[in-house]
Order: sequence, then structure tokens, then C-alpha cells
Amino acid sequence: MNATPAASSSPTKPTPSERRRFDVRVESNEPICREHFRLRMRVERSSGVFPATRPGQFIQLGCRQPDVAADMEALLGAEREWSPGEPLKLTQPELCGPLALLRRPFSLSGRGDDKDGTWLEIIHRVVGVGTDWLSRLRPGDAADLIGPLGNWFELPAGKKRGLLVGGGVGLPPMFYLTEAMKRAGWDAVGFVGALTSDLLAVKRVAGVDPATDGKPARCVEEFARHGFSAVVTTDDGSLGLPGRITLGVERFLAGLGDEQRRETVVYVCGPHVMMHAVAQLAAKAGVDSQACLEQAMACGMGTCQSCVVKIEDRQRPQATTADGTPWRFRLACTDGPVFDGRVVVW
Amino acid sequence: MRQPLHGLGYNTAMTSTAAPPSTSPALAVDLAGLCLANPMMTASGTCGYGYEYAELMDLSRLGAFVTKSVTREARKGNEAYRIVETRGGMLNAIGLANVGLEVFLAEKLPQLRKLRAAGPKIIVNVAGHSVDDYVSSCARIASEPDVDAIELNVSCPNVKDGLTFGTDPALLRTVVAQVRGAMDAKVKLIVKLSPNVADITLTARAAVEGGANILSMINTYTAMAVDIHKRRPRLANNTGGLSGPAIRPLAVHLVHRVYRAVARDAGVPIIGMGGIQYWQDAVEFLLAGASGLAVGTALFVDPATPIKVAQGLEQYLAKQGCKSIREVIGTLKLHGE
Ligand SMILES: Cc1cc2nc3c(=O)[nH]c(=O)nc-3n(C[C@H](O)[C@H](O)[C@H](O)COP(=O)(O)OP(=O)(O)OC[C@H]3O[C@@H](n4cnc5c(N)ncnc54)[C@H](O)[C@@H]3O)c2cc1C
Ligand SMILES: Cc1cc2nc3c(=O)[nH]c(=O)nc-3n(C[C@H](O)[C@H](O)[C@H](O)COP(=O)(O)O)c2cc1C
Ligand code: FES
Repeated sequence: MNATPAASSSPTKPTPSERRRFDVRVESNEPICREHFRLRMRVERSSGVFPATRPGQFIQLGCRQPDVAADMEALLGAEREWSPGEPLKLTQPELCGPLALLRRPFSLSGRGDDKDGTWLEIIHRVVGVGTDWLSRLRPGDAADLIGPLGNWFELPAGKKRGLLVGGGVGLPPMFYLTEAMKRAGWDAVGFVGALTSDLLAVKRVAGVDPATDGKPARCVEEFARHGFSAVVTTDDGSLGLPGRITLGVERFLAGLGDEQRRETVVYVCGPHVMMHAVAQLAAKAGVDSQACLEQAMACGMGTCQSCVVKIEDRQRPQATTADGTPWRFRLACTDGPVFDGRVVVW
Repeated sequence: MRQPLHGLGYNTAMTSTAAPPSTSPALAVDLAGLCLANPMMTASGTCGYGYEYAELMDLSRLGAFVTKSVTREARKGNEAYRIVETRGGMLNAIGLANVGLEVFLAEKLPQLRKLRAAGPKIIVNVAGHSVDDYVSSCARIASEPDVDAIELNVSCPNVKDGLTFGTDPALLRTVVAQVRGAMDAKVKLIVKLSPNVADITLTARAAVEGGANILSMINTYTAMAVDIHKRRPRLANNTGGLSGPAIRPLAVHLVHRVYRAVARDAGVPIIGMGGIQYWQDAVEFLLAGASGLAVGTALFVDPATPIKVAQGLEQYLAKQGCKSIREVIGTLKLHGE
């Protein structure tokens, strides 16, 4: 792997990693809660070995029938044999299949390798035409993806505690990150927030209720599995601590001593305003932060220049903010999606 | 399995398991002296400067590689959101974000030279905001070895000063003539036409009169998508350029019109683009009069699209009993003919 690491203020361009197009087959696609699905895909052996991945990396998933119109034999045959009155289906690619044209980016929520090869897991929320198509996938269905893409969360030397803050569809990469935390011998605390309890894309641990005062508890299966606790917040107070996820983070940081803060890193992914608020809380507490920025993307591979984010850059600034911070546009897809929370111009 | 070429990560055996080493001679085209192994190219701005897709497509099997627009000074481009998908297409308002001429020459061109050694011709797309700008950039780039052609982007809809050159025939004739005059004669000049005009034959003719060797068409259509909840445009730039399958019938129509009204008689070849995703789309452009073909938006879906299209074309030619792609180009017969 050779993309740039998280603290992307260095001007070097990442060399392309091992990204490629892979055919995959759906193993399972279970609803987790309202609008959310856990999709597990098996990489087809014919596509070759899926490269190493790390938490924070993403894939560009085709949200339409793969290659309907590219089947040359079928198409040429269809053209030869077509007669008036027959449906035009294959000779008119744009008239068949669903509408999503571009691929859609999704963070990996997990990955595993076993005797059958590699499986990849994402958690997706149905928000539009592409994710609607994904939600209809059944075991055995074919799909295709490009990946692995982007950089990843770093576990810097000298640190040993991670606060994993995931709002809405920012949660999936945090689940993947728990594994890395466990392996590195870190302590981790999950912060899980949603508008209301039935939008929380997590498995609850039976018999352990999330604390209403924001104290971490082994209440979320995805964290408890590795021995980690979690804080649950809902805006409407239907579960856990009532209020925003930032409230949970703020309370937790307040309970850490200076030494503990120095050993801590805040990892955050979710809506822009939420990441901004969490990065600010971390900075105020003197804690490092890494934010996974999910900017809208077309290619995901550094060619279209669509996914720009503003990153503080004193060496090669392109412009300066009203309050005097020099910044440069960086690409969320290849320079990111993970950036040092302190250098993001929010 | 993967063979790095010249140690740069250009893979010669990348796309699929049983890909033939090169495309069939039937696909070779000669665009006014610019001889390509096959008609397939990348559309400017959708394939970066080359290396970005090196692992996802075998770049050496392209007929030509076309770079992102280069301007004299680096440009940071527009604010986000820069893209939005619409039905069958996408709007972009990148704003010509690019590294600028000096960095391009120092860092990007050397990589493209390596690629050229493997087969594809190199076409550098140039944008500017004054005649002087275009002339100095083009003269400079054309003096570099291994640049086969320059494509003039006179039609970017996403910068405030970009469109007038592409929509005003008199101004276009002037800029093309001056650029042509300032460039090394060996380097071909391609003029990329904007579809955002009332009569594209007027700008096409102006470009040819100015000395364009090749026409490429089309750039994107100026368009808008609206966030109905916020009652605001979805792009930060308000408007953007529409590309992708949605514009293909419009593009085919314009290629056909320019071919018949201007290009055929003037002997100026056309590079057709706009929504090419499958080989069938490419055949439409060929029949309408295009001899070169560029793929843009579809690269985002599958970077190997141009290679797959070339494979499809090969099979189509064989089934049609054609020995050369030339037997197809411009052969569309209208009803009543
Ligand atoms: C690096 C990255 C990682 C992501 N990881 C996940 C994930 O793990 N799980 C998940 O459910 N989603 C994730 N997303 C967001 C996901 O890509 C979008 O929800 C998806 O593209 C929507 O596609 P659609 O066709 O269903 O909806 P569209 O019809 O395209 O859009 C529907 C709505 O979603 C919004 N939207 C579109 N693109 C994005 C985007 N990139 N980010 C946020 N909102 C968007 C649109 O503004 C619109 O309101 C990620 C995005 C990025 C850039
Ligand atoms: C994201 C994006 C960026 C583009 N940038 C440029 C550019 O810099 N210069 C240019 O001449 N055309 C640019 N274009 C236009 C394409 O080269 C092409 O003319 C157009 O997209 C139509 O082809 P397509 O439908 O295959 O994409 C861009 C298109 C897209 C989608
Ligand atoms: S998504 Fe195309 S450059 Fe980032």
C-alpha cells in the first residue's frame, strides 16, 4: 500500500495503489434498522486477489446491473435476429436497467479473508436511486466495484486510545477500525449518534442498555465484540444520552486527565457539521483528530477533480480564508478521505 | 501477470485475461496525418494526465491520450459541489482546475512521453483566456518533442471567460489562425467545438478557415440542476456542463451536421464524443462522420471502456464484412437518400 497517510499536509501525490475493478457476488444483504443494510460481498476468484485494505479506505460500487450492454456476442446476435415488434432491450443499453450511472463510494465496514477468498462488507443507507438498487440485491446477485481507494486512519505511535465517533453513515468505517484497535492493543470507545433510535445502524447487546448519562457501556455489539464500550446518543432522546453526539464526546473528553488526552486520538466520520464540531472539541481539549471527509465523487480515482476539500497549507496555498488561514484544495478521493482534523478548513 | 512498462506503472497486460496484444489493423485511422492504431481516445478532463488510471486500463492500447486542459497559470477551480448526477448524465463545474503549464511540462509530460513510446499518440488540451494566452501556451507545448497534437479548448462552459472564443465565429477564426501560425507545423491542431451555439456549422467553418487540422466535438452542454428543497442550484457554480449518455443523441446529430456541411468537403476529420459508453454508441458516431472517438464520463464508471469499445468495434467490423473502419465512417444514409 502506498497512498499518503492521514496527515495530508504534505504536497506529495500518492502513487496509484493496487486499485482495480473486481467482480463480486452478494453473500448477504440484511436490513439492520430503518433504511440501513449490511451488504456482504464475495470477491470473485476470476477477478484475482483483492489487495490489502485498511480502515478508512473505500470502494466505488456499481449500483446497476454490471455490464448489461457489454456482452458482445449476445448483442450482435440480438441485432442480427431482431425483427420489428420484438423488445429492443439489448441493442438499447440506455433503455434497460436502473438509472444510476456513476459508481457510488462506500467505506468498508469490514473485510475478511478465508479459504474461499476475500469478503468485503459495507453498510449503506437508502437515500436515492443507487442505494435503492443496492437494497434489492439478493444473495448470489452479481455486482462490481473498483477498489481499494483512498488513504486510511493512522494509529500513531505513542497513542493508545481511540474515540471512534460515527454519525449516521459515518459509522461503517468505525466498525472496521475497531479491529485495527484491537490488534494494536489500543483501548477504544465508540460514539454512535442518530436522530432517533430506529436509525441507529448497530446491533444492540441484549440486556445492556446504553447509559442515559453518556457513560460508556458494552451496549453495542460491534464494539463490545472486541471488548470496547460505546456511548449512544439520539437527538430525540429515544435511546441513550439525549442530544447530539458532540455532547457525548465533550463529556468523555472532560473526564480525561492531561496525560490521558495526550494518548488519545479522536476518529470521526459523519455529516460535515458534526465532524467540524467534533474536530473543534478535540482541538480544544488538545487531542489529535482524524476526519474522514465524504465529499461527493464522480471517479474516486483522482481524475475528475470533483471531490475537493479545503486543507490548510502554508507552503503552497491557493487562497486564504477571511480569517487568514492559507489553504489548498485537496482531493478527498486520493489525498483523503482521511485528513488531520486540525488542518481541515471546515 | 502485471508488467510495468518503463517502470512507471503503465501496465501492458491489464484489462482482462485474454486481451489481444494490440488492436486489429482494421481499426487504424489517419486523422489528417495523425495516424492512430485505433480511433479510441480519452476525453479531456476525464483521465487526468495519464497515470491516474494506469492500473485500471491498459493505456498503451489507446489510439491517443488526451490530457486535462492545461492553462498558462495553475488554476484551483471552483468551490464544491463540483458535480451532480442527473438522469443518464452528469453536470460538472470543475472550473479548469489544473497544474498550470510549467508543472505540466516538468512533471506530467515526461510520463506521457513514456506512454507514447508504447503506442498512443499524445494530445495536449489547452485552454486560455486571451488570444495571447492561447498562442504562447500552444507555441510552447508544440515545441516540445513527442506532442502529436494540441486540442484547443475554446468551449469550457464553466469559467467566466471561457465561452466567447467558442461561440463567436470571427474570434474563433482569429485565435485558431494565430495559434496555427505560431505552432510547429508537424503538430496537428484540433479545435474542440462547443454545442452551446445556435448554428454549430458557423463555428466549425470558422475553425477550419482558421487552419484547424481536425475538429473535435462536443464539449459539454451548459445546464443546471436544482435542489428543490433549498431552492438553489445544486452546483456551487450554479451552472455546469452536461455530459454522459444523456447527450449522445445531441452529439451524434451535431457530428453529422458538421460532417455534411463542413468537414467532409474540407477534408477535416472529426473526433466524436458525447456519451460514448458502449461500442454501439461509437458506431453511431462513426456512421455520422466521426473518424476518431473519445470517451469521457464513461471512464468514471469503467476506465477500461475505450478498450472494450475497441473490441466491440472490431467484432462489429468483422460481422459487417468490413476490412477497415474507413468503410463505415460517414456512411449514414438518411431516409430519402
Ligand atoms: C468516501 C465516502 C464514503 C462513504 N461511505 C458510505 C457508507 O459507508 N455508507 C453509506 O450509506 N454511504 C456512504 N457514503 C455516501 C454514499 O456514497 C451516498 O449516500 C450515495 O452515493 C448515494 O447514492 P444514491 O444514488 O442512493 O443517492 P443519490 O440520488 O445520488 O443522492 C441522494 C442523496 O444523497 C446525497 N449524497 C450523494 N452523494 C453523497 C456523498 N458522497 N456523501 C453524502 N451524501 C451524498 C445527495 O446529496 C442526495 O441528497 C460515502 C461517501 C463517500 C464519499
Ligand atoms: C469532469 C469533467 C471534466 C472535464 N474537463 C474538461 C476539460 O478540462 N477540457 C475540455 O476540453 N473538456 C472537458 N470535459 C468535457 C469532455 O472532454 C467531453 O467533451 C464531454 O464530457 C463529452 O463527453 P462524454 O459524454 O463522454 O463525457 C470535461 C468533462 C467532464 C465530465
Ligand atoms: S472523485 Fe474524481 S478526483 Fe476525486
